[in-house]
Amino acid sequence: MLPAGTFNETYGQDTAVIRTPLQWLMTILGCIFLLAVPLFAGYYVTYLINYVAITIIAVMGLQFVMGYCGLVSFGQVAFMAVGAYSSSILTISYGWPFWASLPASGLIAGLIGILGGSPALRIKGFYLALATLAIHYIVIWLVMELEITGGSTGLHPPSPTLGNFVLNTDGRMYYIIVPTMIVMTYFAKNLTRSRVGRAFVVIRDNDLAAGAIGINIFFYKLLAFFIACFYAGIAGSLYAHWVQVVHPDQFLLTESLFFVGMLIIGGLGSIVGVFFGSILVRLLNEGVLFAVPALGAAFPALPSHPAASISVSIFALIIILFLIFEPRGLAHRWEIFKASYRLYPFSY
Amino acid sequence: MGIFLDLSLNGLFNGALYALVAIAIVLVFKATQVVSLAHGQLLSFGALFFWFTYVAFGLPLWLSLLIALVCGGLLGFTVERLCLRPLIGQPLFSSFLMTFAIFMFFDGIFQLILKGQALGFPDFLPKGIIAVNSTKIFVGNLWSFGICLGVFLLIMLVFKYTKVGLGMRATAESHKLAQSAGISVRRIFSLTWIMSACIAVIAGITLARVMDICFYLPWGMIKGFIVAMVGGLDSLIGAVVAGLLLGWLEGMIAGYVDPFIGGAIKDVAAYVILLIILLVRPYGLFGLVKIERV
Repeated sequence: MLPAGTFNETYGQDTAVIRTPLQWLMTILGCIFLLAVPLFAGYYVTYLINYVAITIIAVMGLQFVMGYCGLVSFGQVAFMAVGAYSSSILTISYGWPFWASLPASGLIAGLIGILGGSPALRIKGFYLALATLAIHYIVIWLVMELEITGGSTGLHPPSPTLGNFVLNTDGRMYYIIVPTMIVMTYFAKNLTRSRVGRAFVVIRDNDLAAGAIGINIFFYKLLAFFIACFYAGIAGSLYAHWVQVVHPDQFLLTESLFFVGMLIIGGLGSIVGVFFGSILVRLLNEGVLFAVPALGAAFPALPSHPAASISVSIFALIIILFLIFEPRGLAHRWEIFKASYRLYPFSY
Repeated sequence: MGIFLDLSLNGLFNGALYALVAIAIVLVFKATQVVSLAHGQLLSFGALFFWFTYVAFGLPLWLSLLIALVCGGLLGFTVERLCLRPLIGQPLFSSFLMTFAIFMFFDGIFQLILKGQALGFPDFLPKGIIAVNSTKIFVGNLWSFGICLGVFLLIMLVFKYTKVGLGMRATAESHKLAQSAGISVRRIFSLTWIMSACIAVIAGITLARVMDICFYLPWGMIKGFIVAMVGGLDSLIGAVVAGLLLGWLEGMIAGYVDPFIGGAIKDVAAYVILLIILLVRPYGLFGLVKIERV
């Protein structure tokens, strides 16, 4: 929906993502603000933004496979683990610089993702969901058992370096993580508007029709898995070099389930929705972590560390409410809101 | 030979427990086309109800069993009425996600109740050992095996010979056609959920007898889920056969492969088997094959 009074007169205008001068201004100001945050914000805020940004990258990958291509995947965290471990191994054992291991881990995760997504060629729906669940367990089991991954002791990947400058704090890693997120978002936004993105949507809506109009279903399903796992691998690599420890316990199945929930809350099939879902859920988790000690003081009958269970319950309750009352997610509400102010004062 | 027999029996007993969970899942799928993850919590709460009445309040066995069944049935009814009923008519995928959300919701409460500890569960079934040559059979295990078979037969009979079962089969075939033939699809949905919740309660109690009420109990559902998939989501016989098969295979792998390779291959064996079977037969061993061609 274009703002009132703006018309597309050329093909270039029609395809532009950022359309009006005001949007350009807001985009540039927004980017400058985002990059300036660590200069004045405290340690905690920087940490939180890093965490959310990594989540956004991973969930955006899931958005391709689930929101656009309609293939349920409970394996996103496993592929994050693949990315984290391959990046750690490349930097520790083979001495690669972080800048090479970051894209390489994305590619490795993507290729393994093709392997993991191959059941999608034959099975659909719930069967596929369970197959990805199986892949999660198999990947985590391999990580535990293989020697190169350090088993249950984990690995300690080094901080990235830029010449002599070591990026070893939250504030410094911020300048890798957030720009990566912006680039990945730009790529995702454009991919969904391309031939590939449209093919995904047709496969999601009706795969028989997609086959009938000449879309190579097998190729596009595998491509969806490749892109999803590429994103997961990048997110995993960033995560590994940021927290500087990789351990099988960081990649639990519940995290994958949380990712799926974030997609539902944000809205399936929308890149903006990824931001809404990830930010809302992560902030909510942090909020519960703050609120629960107070709750514990008020109700001594509660166990000593109930934060995790309560946050899980609240999170699930929100998903239930969203599924019943707004299955299209926050992104849909956002579209309605946008349309209303863009049409002002002609609200018909 | 003795070891082989021991392993086989143990595997089959475990398999019967998996099958019981799978039957509950298959039942819901058959009537409502919803694949339910929520059963993991139905079974753990069933075990909790039983624990509260039988252990904490010390009621007699039959009464606590009855209370657990009634509470579990109510829970199933509430879940269906409040959460899944509003989703009728929407894509099945959202119902699936809904059951997953229900699972997470109750999981939080379950962990709150447990407070990080395991609740010890009494062995309420008759004790004793039958020794045949060198092979020992625990009578309790035999009983739980029998319970599983009994439930299965009961469900089969209900499906085959009662009016409710006929309604369920018709609803499974097509909601619209069943509705126009005068079957109250809503009532069938409620009944199905109550029935399958009761089965889940029984499964939960028999599972908890083996593994106590620990934080891991709800995830026992995943094994049942795998069994339901391997057997075919719409086949009751498939659930039983696949359950026994999977249990037996797991026992074999635990006994013969693990000691040589090291590492707990048993834990992932089920998933590998699932992947292989799904790749060969995408609708499970006994599932109805839907033919789609482009």
